[in-house]
Amino acid sequence: MAEHIVTSFDADLELLRSRIAEMGGIAEKQLDDSTRALVRRDVALAQQVIDADSRLDSLQREIEELAVATIARRQPVAVDLRDIISAIRVAGDVERIGDLAKNTAKRVLAISSELQPAKIVGGVQHMSDLVQEQLKDVLDAYAQRDEKKALEVWNRDDRIDALYNSVFRELLTYMMEDTRNITFCTHLLFLAKNIERIGDHTTNIAETIYFLTTGETLAGERPKGDTTSFATTPAV
Amino acid sequence: MVSYAARKRKNSITMGLCTAAALFGIMWLLLILVVLVWEGFSGLSLAVFTEITPSMGSVGGGLLNAIIGSIMMTVVAVLVGAPLGVLAGTYMAEYGRYNKLTNVVRFINDILLSAPSIVIGLFIYEVLVAPFGGFSGWAGAAALAVIVIPVVVRTTEDMLLLVPGQLREAATALGLPRSIVIKQVAYKAAITGIVTGVLLAVARVSGETAPLLFTALSNNFLSLDMGQPIASLPVVIYNFTKTPDENMQQLAWTGALLITFTVLAMSISARALSTRKKK
Amino acid sequence: MTTQSATQPVPPAIPAGPLTEKVSVRNLKFYYGNSLALKGINLPLYDRIVTAFIGPSGCGKSTLLRVLNRMYDLYPGQRAEGEVLVDGQNVLNPGQDLNALRAKVGMVFQKPTPFPMSIYDNIAFGVRLYESLNKAEMDERVESSLRRAAIWDEVKDKLGASGQSLSGGQQQRLCIARTVAVKPEVILFDEPCSALDPISTSKVEELIDELKEDYTIAIVTHNMQQAARVSQFTAFMYLGELVEFAETTKIFTAPQDKRTQDYITGRFG
Repeated sequence: MAEHIVTSFDADLELLRSRIAEMGGIAEKQLDDSTRALVRRDVALAQQVIDADSRLDSLQREIEELAVATIARRQPVAVDLRDIISAIRVAGDVERIGDLAKNTAKRVLAISSELQPAKIVGGVQHMSDLVQEQLKDVLDAYAQRDEKKALEVWNRDDRIDALYNSVFRELLTYMMEDTRNITFCTHLLFLAKNIERIGDHTTNIAETIYFLTTGETLAGERPKGDTTSFATTPAV
Repeated sequence: MVSYAARKRKNSITMGLCTAAALFGIMWLLLILVVLVWEGFSGLSLAVFTEITPSMGSVGGGLLNAIIGSIMMTVVAVLVGAPLGVLAGTYMAEYGRYNKLTNVVRFINDILLSAPSIVIGLFIYEVLVAPFGGFSGWAGAAALAVIVIPVVVRTTEDMLLLVPGQLREAATALGLPRSIVIKQVAYKAAITGIVTGVLLAVARVSGETAPLLFTALSNNFLSLDMGQPIASLPVVIYNFTKTPDENMQQLAWTGALLITFTVLAMSISARALSTRKKK
Repeated sequence: MTTQSATQPVPPAIPAGPLTEKVSVRNLKFYYGNSLALKGINLPLYDRIVTAFIGPSGCGKSTLLRVLNRMYDLYPGQRAEGEVLVDGQNVLNPGQDLNALRAKVGMVFQKPTPFPMSIYDNIAFGVRLYESLNKAEMDERVESSLRRAAIWDEVKDKLGASGQSLSGGQQQRLCIARTVAVKPEVILFDEPCSALDPISTSKVEELIDELKEDYTIAIVTHNMQQAARVSQFTAFMYLGELVEFAETTKIFTAPQDKRTQDYITGRFG
């Protein structure tokens, strides 16, 4: 894209982009760290995740202020307008991702004292790996303004949903086997749900990227694999 | 790079020269006025306006026949020349603005504007005086009209060209036909300029001597018959200054004073009219 | 997966129902002497819709406007080819009654151009030519026109004052009132606000928005925000060509042509 005649306009947009990139980096690390904290029962790491969230919040506020100021001063239209609106939306999604990672880390703290076999968290860890990959891809797609890559992320989120279903059933089984597992597994269940929702936010970002590059909104149903809303306790 | 002081010095020298040149020019005008008032004012009396020109050697007398003759010929000249000039100027500015004909007319008009007035007098002598049996007020008025026309043509065209094209377009955009656009909008906007032009033309012709010498000649008696030779102020002044008669010379000075102040008054009112409009 | 327009029609909204073409420009070419200024323009002006023309200086947008009421006829060496249909009638026909056309297709100019006469006469002047109204009817027409142009309250006590004594913004609204008074069907605005301050500009924009209830409006503007604010359709012209013609919301959120995008986002040159 050619540069603006008014170069300070380009500088404003560039600043927005770099702030979002910074937010994306923090959120990726939070998700990664919270999962590792879960697997390793690493309380200190979990605490780091929780602490990192305030930086994310302040970055989001900064982006919103910058975006509002740019709209007021430059009256952007067309791709510039979409650029700024997208920045606000992506910043919101990334901030929510940070919140969800923080919540995950808090649950890690809550269950840190309970001794449980590592294999129970295996499913959650696998989900988290997939979501991390998806988050990375969608942030790359945003940086590169690549709607094809964004669409690809948007289409593959159903894998995470499917994985969440199986984790849900697995945890349900553990709980039925032994009622002492219930506290631990409930936390894990929420934790898995958090990660699944992070996946949903990556699809939001993908939709924003599509709007940003084409000017059209993605409509129609995204492939969905989460059926746990309809789940009932299997008969034993 | 010239230093500031040097530039400033240069500036004051140039300014000084310009001011001196201007003062030099104005000085002559003032001198003329002073001499005119000095010489002419003493001769100013009611008799100047009520009595006809005296004969050689007599006492008293006035300029009545010359004043009347001048007014008559000037009025006729303007009545004929001004409408013709305004119409021609209107054609050039409004209808024929982009025509070749307009360029040709403008060129010829400019020549006419600067033509020596004695040439015009000779021309009228050839076409009106010689073939039709003698000098007359009509011939004098015709000669003056020929002088009036180019002045009025020029100012009318210039004034109409100064009317913003936007105004004309705006009127046209309302669906008004061209004739109405010109009559009601262009003329309204240019009227003071056109009137100024006519006043300047009057001022110009009221001082002309040369064209009248060959056309209206002069007349020692009061005549209201434009078919006969007729007196005029400039010609009377011209004739009287050549005589040794002191009384007549005095009257010549007084006549010159009258003409000069009439022309001055008209120029000033023309100027006042055009500046009042501009604000 | 399906896509839909990114933007729902936001105010100023396009009225429901099918749009009718009040003016149709077909393959219009325009020459200044030998140079081609419009290179085959095709475009509709819809009834009771504001259509904005944007584009860099010299792109031909004002030229196009001046073809619509044949203002170019005032000048030699300018000629148009193609068709401009107003109510289905080609106004480029040599037999076209120009005064009737201009009464039907009114125009408001960049610089306010009140005639050198009273405010009252500025309005009544054009009306007198087409209609013989008695004093009361004319008073009524003058008042309604001035009201329509949202300037009545400011001038009702000084209708005898010179139109040129008003402020710039008032003068422009007086010119709009004058145009409205002869009851046109189409009004062309040629950069009507470029000489006005922001408040006067807002008043004129508000006026244009109201006028579109009754008139087909075309506006040439260098102010892209103004085009975005007042129009329902926007035409982007560049180098004598119509690059893009679409709903205004579409042009200003997701233009299809790169040149349009570059121009409206300030990336030109």
